[in-house]
Amino acid sequence: MSVIANSISGADEAEYAIKLAEKQGIEYAEAYVENSYGSSYALEQGVLNGSAAYAKTGLRIRLVKDSKLYTFSTNVLEKGNIRKAIERFRGFRGVDTRFSPEEPLKARYKVADKISVDDHDLLADLVQVDKALSGRKYVKFRSLYGGAGRSMTYFTNSQGSEIVADLPAVSSVMSVIVGSGTETRQRVIQFGATGGFELMKLEDMERQAVADAENMMKVLEKGVTLGHEELKKIKNVVMAPEIAGIAVHESVGHPHEADRVYGREAAQAGTSYLNPGNLGMEIGSKEITLIDDPTLKNSYGFYLYDDEGVKAKPKLLVDRGVQKGLLLNREYASVLGTASNGSARSDSYSNEPLIRMSNTYLKPGKATFEELISEAKDGVYIKNFMEWNIDDTRSFERYQGNEAYLIKNGSLDKPVKNFVIESNTIDFWHAAKLMGKDLGFSIGNCGKGEPMQGVPVTMGGPTTLLSFGKGRS
Amino acid sequence: MIDAKAIVKMAVSDGFDEAVAHMYMAKRSYLKIANAKVDSIVTKFENAASLFVSSKKRVFFTNIDKLEKNDVQKALGRAKQAMPLLQAKEDYNGLAEGPFKYKKANPPDKKVRDISTEEIADIAYAAINGALGKHATNVAGTVLVGYSEDELVTSNRAHASGSNSEVRLSLRAFKGTNFSFQDAVASSRLGEIDAEKTGGDAADMAMSADKTGRIENGTYDIIYMPSPGGSLLYMTNSMACIGNVETGSWFTGKLNKEVANKDITIYDEGDMKDSIDASPYDSEGYPTQRTTLVANSILASYLHNYSTAKKYKTKSTGNAGLVEPNPNVMHFRHNKKVASVDELVRNVHKGILVTNLWYTRFSNYLTGDFSTVPRDLALYIENGEIKFAIKQKNVGSIVGIRVSDNMIRMLKNIECAADDTKQASSWEAEGEYFFMPSILVREAKVTVA
Repeated sequence: MSVIANSISGADEAEYAIKLAEKQGIEYAEAYVENSYGSSYALEQGVLNGSAAYAKTGLRIRLVKDSKLYTFSTNVLEKGNIRKAIERFRGFRGVDTRFSPEEPLKARYKVADKISVDDHDLLADLVQVDKALSGRKYVKFRSLYGGAGRSMTYFTNSQGSEIVADLPAVSSVMSVIVGSGTETRQRVIQFGATGGFELMKLEDMERQAVADAENMMKVLEKGVTLGHEELKKIKNVVMAPEIAGIAVHESVGHPHEADRVYGREAAQAGTSYLNPGNLGMEIGSKEITLIDDPTLKNSYGFYLYDDEGVKAKPKLLVDRGVQKGLLLNREYASVLGTASNGSARSDSYSNEPLIRMSNTYLKPGKATFEELISEAKDGVYIKNFMEWNIDDTRSFERYQGNEAYLIKNGSLDKPVKNFVIESNTIDFWHAAKLMGKDLGFSIGNCGKGEPMQGVPVTMGGPTTLLSFGKGRS
Repeated sequence: MIDAKAIVKMAVSDGFDEAVAHMYMAKRSYLKIANAKVDSIVTKFENAASLFVSSKKRVFFTNIDKLEKNDVQKALGRAKQAMPLLQAKEDYNGLAEGPFKYKKANPPDKKVRDISTEEIADIAYAAINGALGKHATNVAGTVLVGYSEDELVTSNRAHASGSNSEVRLSLRAFKGTNFSFQDAVASSRLGEIDAEKTGGDAADMAMSADKTGRIENGTYDIIYMPSPGGSLLYMTNSMACIGNVETGSWFTGKLNKEVANKDITIYDEGDMKDSIDASPYDSEGYPTQRTTLVANSILASYLHNYSTAKKYKTKSTGNAGLVEPNPNVMHFRHNKKVASVDELVRNVHKGILVTNLWYTRFSNYLTGDFSTVPRDLALYIENGEIKFAIKQKNVGSIVGIRVSDNMIRMLKNIECAADDTKQASSWEAEGEYFFMPSILVREAKVTVA
């Protein structure tokens, strides 16, 4: 067994698979082993409704035979099972798949969990947050979920790569519904990081849950609803990092996934406004520069090598408004005659790696919050959202403000209810006029593919002033 | 290899009050169609088990990764380690008491179990050629072929076993880069999938977009075909599950109250023979059933497992979920039926025929306020006739409209349905099947790009 993989259960079987595939005359073979474990809790209305733990070991093999791509995954790590899968694959008529040539790499890396995912009492944290919420009469419903675990993976391929990763992770999701009379508002708050509980502190969860609940009540009790004519007059919108982040993710990150641009995802997660003929187009104002960077330390979307064994690096997607790069795996790097930029990820050993985002963000500027509000003069500031969606070419998006405020004469004014940004992507990003210096990230689990795979990501940006010249309808 | 009975015996010997062992073997292949060719195939094979245990009203759930005694001991070890940290779930009332008798399910199709990658590719090419033969300019999609066996044993004397097969073809046919149509067919039997016809039908629909136009923001009647309609309404069953009701669903506080049009019936189908998803038993081995959720305008029932049913002084609806009740299969019926989608169209003065949608998101699950995005092909209807395919922007296949609605309002405004009920599915509701006709919803708010 490889020295690098000496602590990984299933590494022998992975190496057996590669050797057997080579004997079968397969052009390319790779194996990916996952050893993972974790635990989770569901605390609903103060009652521990569910507690679970898992431990799993599984193997994924990808083969390219006669230029046809085949993936097999299993938790049954018997050599007979592996042999049967490799020997039985006889190809099919179809797309010729080639992988970009990449340098074989040998690496072992680990993220420390200073407050261990194994020892910390996450349930006690959730109970504490629940208590802070339950003492407030206006909090009608509260559901708190939390989980922690560790994933150790081993990647090896027929080109000599061997990479071991040891990544602990923590996460929580809190849903809070507040109400008064018949009116209610809901918010979902997420925390997550690659590392230990030092990155998901009880006091932070508690503070945000309580603050968001209180602020929703302020919106509910004091918020105004704008009429059609008032809405039409609003040209300036200041969006907080949470809105900038979701917009970056949905309307810039996803359309930059090469498998959408080239049609592989057309029947699942959709296509893109980008196509092979318009790459390099102007997406937004010169103020916007967008980056996807898996190497951000302790981020929820962190990795140093992707699931095809390619070294991760920051990727410039949009530079001062102009489309620059795509997110690539080895297959689409080969299509473009370039090298992969390390964007292949799977949510577990059992699924194929797809082109995915990691930590995608809008580069911050220099403005302070006060300067942004002052520059907007009149308009709306949106702090966070609940409902959002976008079409499958990523051209027509909507973000509904949960907590939002009117801006009057350059100052924040009363709260406003259900203010919606509904815009065409290109108009939206051309409206970006002034960027704050306060880069902030929120976390999510991004879905793609069939079967659906959810991978951890972060979405970021600074507080940003959008100035829609024609006003809004 | 260890069996489910032995796992339960080990758990009880270890001092747990109750145990449920659920063993399963599943093989699933997913073939991806892209750019009118087979792109790749993924095959997943899993043989594992799940284990639920309770002790003094503390409940715990874990997996058994390998079906060996050693792995069962590890799973029980995790449970024993966790138990002292857990709070008692005071409203937990235990597992259903067996033994039970189960209805006989349809046998699985052995051809599905034994299918090769070449044969899966043949299905894909039949569909691709069907679409190209009807002048589609591009085709994308998926062929899913799955076979599974499972066995469930509880410490309360329930013992059930079954097997299942599934074939699903999802196809998106394009007319140039501007229009597409996507639909899926599914069956538990390979022979019932007519891939060539599915491809041809999808192409026919895509090619029907011969005239395009734009619409304005406003209120429109919406006809949802089975896949988009089902991908919205299958959530009614989930939101009727008591766990969601207790934490804020649009059915919270609505039991025995008016929630829908008087002619609608919505069932939760547990033992429907033709259903790919239905099983004669739930996750605690309780026999599944048909439960009427909505009838005569009224929300008639919530969905329960044995424990939650006891809490609410009612009977289990066969919807365990060991942690919380889960929905079975949504089955929608409408008493006011017309023959076809064409006839629904004739009933619309100003409206939109929605053939597919995605990205349904809620601003508040308690109120049921949501918006959703029609995609692929949406046809504008005026005075009972289809006038044009909606195209708000000249960007790829975008339709460029959004529907904003409320689930209760929608349920109350489903005026009639076509007589075209099918076992539908949608990428939006991945892994779910529902029995759904095309429906006509009056007066929904639409915004445009």
